[in-house]
Amino acid sequence: MVGVWLELRRGDSYGMRILKYTPQGHVVKHHRGRIPKLAVTAVAAALLGFSGLYLEASAPTEYQVKAAYLYNFGRFVQWPADATAKEKAYFPICVLGQDPFGRALDATVGGQSIDGKQVVARRILTPADALGCRVLFISSSEDGELKNVLSALDDTSVLTVSDMPQFTARGGMIRLITQHNRIRFEVNLAAAERVGLMLSSQLLKLAVNVDRNFQPGTGR
Amino acid sequence: MRFRIQNHSIAAELTWMNLLVSASALLLACAAFAAYDLIMLRESMVRVLSIQAQIIGANSVSAMLFNDPHSAESSLAALKAGPNIIKAEIYTPDGLPFAGYFRGHRRKTGPLPKIPAGQTEAHWFKNKELIVVRRINFQGKPAETVLMESDLRQINNRLKRYAAVVFFIVVACLAAVFLMSSFMRRSIAEPLLRLADTASIVSRDKDYSVRASQVDRYNELAILVKSFNEMLDQIQERDAALKSAHAELELRVQERTRQLAGANKELEAFSYSVSHDLRAPLRQIDGFSNILVNDYGRHLDAEALRYLNLIRNGARKMGQLVDDLLNMGRIGRQELTRRPTDLNPLLQSVLQDMQPELEGRQIEWRIGALPTLECDPGLVRVVFVNLLSNAVKYTRRKESALIEVGQAAHGGEVVLFVRDNGAGFDQKYAHKLFGVFQRLHRADDFEGTGVGLATVQRIIHKHGGRIWAEARVNEGAAFFFTLETVRHGAQSRALDEAAV
Amino acid sequence: MAHSEVEIVLVEDNSADLELTLYALRQSHLVNNIHIARDGAEALDFLFCQGQYAERAFLLPRLILLDLKLPKVDGLEVLQAIRNDERTKLIPVVVLTSSKEQKDIVGSYQLHVNSYIQKPVDFDQFRQTIQQLGLYWLVVNQTPFSS
Repeated sequence: MVGVWLELRRGDSYGMRILKYTPQGHVVKHHRGRIPKLAVTAVAAALLGFSGLYLEASAPTEYQVKAAYLYNFGRFVQWPADATAKEKAYFPICVLGQDPFGRALDATVGGQSIDGKQVVARRILTPADALGCRVLFISSSEDGELKNVLSALDDTSVLTVSDMPQFTARGGMIRLITQHNRIRFEVNLAAAERVGLMLSSQLLKLAVNVDRNFQPGTGR
Repeated sequence: MRFRIQNHSIAAELTWMNLLVSASALLLACAAFAAYDLIMLRESMVRVLSIQAQIIGANSVSAMLFNDPHSAESSLAALKAGPNIIKAEIYTPDGLPFAGYFRGHRRKTGPLPKIPAGQTEAHWFKNKELIVVRRINFQGKPAETVLMESDLRQINNRLKRYAAVVFFIVVACLAAVFLMSSFMRRSIAEPLLRLADTASIVSRDKDYSVRASQVDRYNELAILVKSFNEMLDQIQERDAALKSAHAELELRVQERTRQLAGANKELEAFSYSVSHDLRAPLRQIDGFSNILVNDYGRHLDAEALRYLNLIRNGARKMGQLVDDLLNMGRIGRQELTRRPTDLNPLLQSVLQDMQPELEGRQIEWRIGALPTLECDPGLVRVVFVNLLSNAVKYTRRKESALIEVGQAAHGGEVVLFVRDNGAGFDQKYAHKLFGVFQRLHRADDFEGTGVGLATVQRIIHKHGGRIWAEARVNEGAAFFFTLETVRHGAQSRALDEAAV
Repeated sequence: MAHSEVEIVLVEDNSADLELTLYALRQSHLVNNIHIARDGAEALDFLFCQGQYAERAFLLPRLILLDLKLPKVDGLEVLQAIRNDERTKLIPVVVLTSSKEQKDIVGSYQLHVNSYIQKPVDFDQFRQTIQQLGLYWLVVNQTPFSS
């Protein structure tokens, strides 16, 4: 038997281990290697694209997990009463910029509801379209435009999530981090509370870091 | 335990009964309460565990959703505060272990027990543990399953405490009951004991003037005491009546005895004077008649001589009568002294004494074996003398006289008989045989005073026996008599021989 | 009556009986030396030379024939008096009486009578008894006082 293990890591490549087992389960051989993340992602995407359902039943991918996180964030956050009065029946989870999720997001949120509202996944191109969203994932492709995006969302009750570096330091609310092969997150609570969002303590206690003293405009 | 109680006094028995009843009631009540309490305790334990599971669930849902077992375990760690919690585990919705708390740091995960369909929760008491498994939902969707496992130390501790409390309660109550029993003693046992004492005093000392003291309350005991005293009154009365009747009887007996003694003495004096005073004239009659014959016989004709002879005979006869009467009287007054007497040598001795009478007589004697009986040898001797004399006398006319003496079995009794083949008598007059001076033959034919058989009958009756006779004229007579039942066993053989 | 040697003292109160006894004694040729006493007191007076016999010289008879039923002093009393006195203690006494009562017989023997005879009613027998009696006590028997 052969097992291939991919280790999620920081940086631009995945670690890889190839282990050979005897039928009794003892490790016989052990290879270590590195595969660039991009390659893996490409393969995974391809596989995802080809395998569809099958791959969903096996170990979840990074963005499947992140998609689940997006959904679950929605369950631990309280929006102010008057937020996005426009679309009361829906709970939109939007992706701004280059969509890293693909079908994972749709698959995750399909048929689910939060607080009685049907969850829908949206891809948007401009911050202005984000006004109706509850949760907004800002793709790392928008790294350069982040300041503009955030200021456009300034007074709106949208939970901003991203996995781009320094997201919370630059005013974002939740930043997804990969730590010890796990997806973690850090929270900029001040930013969230400033727009009337209330984050459950149950959520906060899981955060790696919670910033309560962020001052906008300082970039800290 | 049962036979020990039966040997105790009533007071002790009452006390035991009280103690037993109280102890049983107490134990039953305590057992019931304990049982109820323990059931409630179990339910509360389940409830508590369930609540703990829910709390844990609420606190760990996010950790489950965000795949942070660490966080879940740190909230589980708080369970350390509950020393009874063996472990608590959180399982993913797929039933895989996610996070756990293990008392004593021994990780012992196991498969998730199944909750029956439709139920949120299930619990089991087994292997001295309580397991509670609960499905945790978050916002309507199943999030995880929590398993709580607790030991039963609470129940055990409660049981121990119960045992101690029950023990003290029972001991204290029994002590109180024991004390209260002393009151019961006084009201029931004491009167009974007093009554029993009184009864035993009366019985032991035969003192019927004693009375039992009355009971203050009116209950069955009072009735018993009252009846007891009334009984004693009656007994006392009867006793007194008996005593006075006894005394009266004694007096009467003494009186009678005195009279009898007096009568006896009179009789004795009578006999004495008869024996002496009657004889002298008789002697004189006979004497002078004789002198007449001797000295003046030649002057008298045959007729005169005949008259004188008759006078002499008369006197002689009277002398005989006097002697016989005196004999009979003496025998009648004589005390019977019974001794085991072998009748065979006695009979032989009688025959010996009769030799003079038997001179010149041809008599065939058939003497059977006679028993040894309890009787007065002197008096029985008289019986034989009389009966044999009669037999000899009344066979005088027979050429070959046959006289039999023996014993026969007659309905279980020993009967002795004397039989002869002599003149016999008419059975018609048998009832006159034993009368005093009664004769069934003329004096010409057979001399005799008619007192012999009366004497014999007197003697037989004194012995408590019976006498009767059977005879046929000229064919002989047989006299049968008993002297009370045979005492000595050797006689059965003799009986058999005689019966042949 | 001459106070020659008295051989027999006969104590009898009944005259008819006395006559019969004397007749019988006469027939046996024993009457020569008989003294008659009609009651117990007389008998004692004679024997002990007192009263009306105070003049008598003391002589012991060879035989005393004693009837029991006596007036004044009873036969047994006389016997007792005879036996109590040293002088007369050894005289042979024969009780001659009608009675056959045990108490008389036993009483007499207890007072050391020598012989007890019941007078038979039949006269022939009586005569024979007297004859035998006289023969025995006066001829055959040896008395302690030989003349």
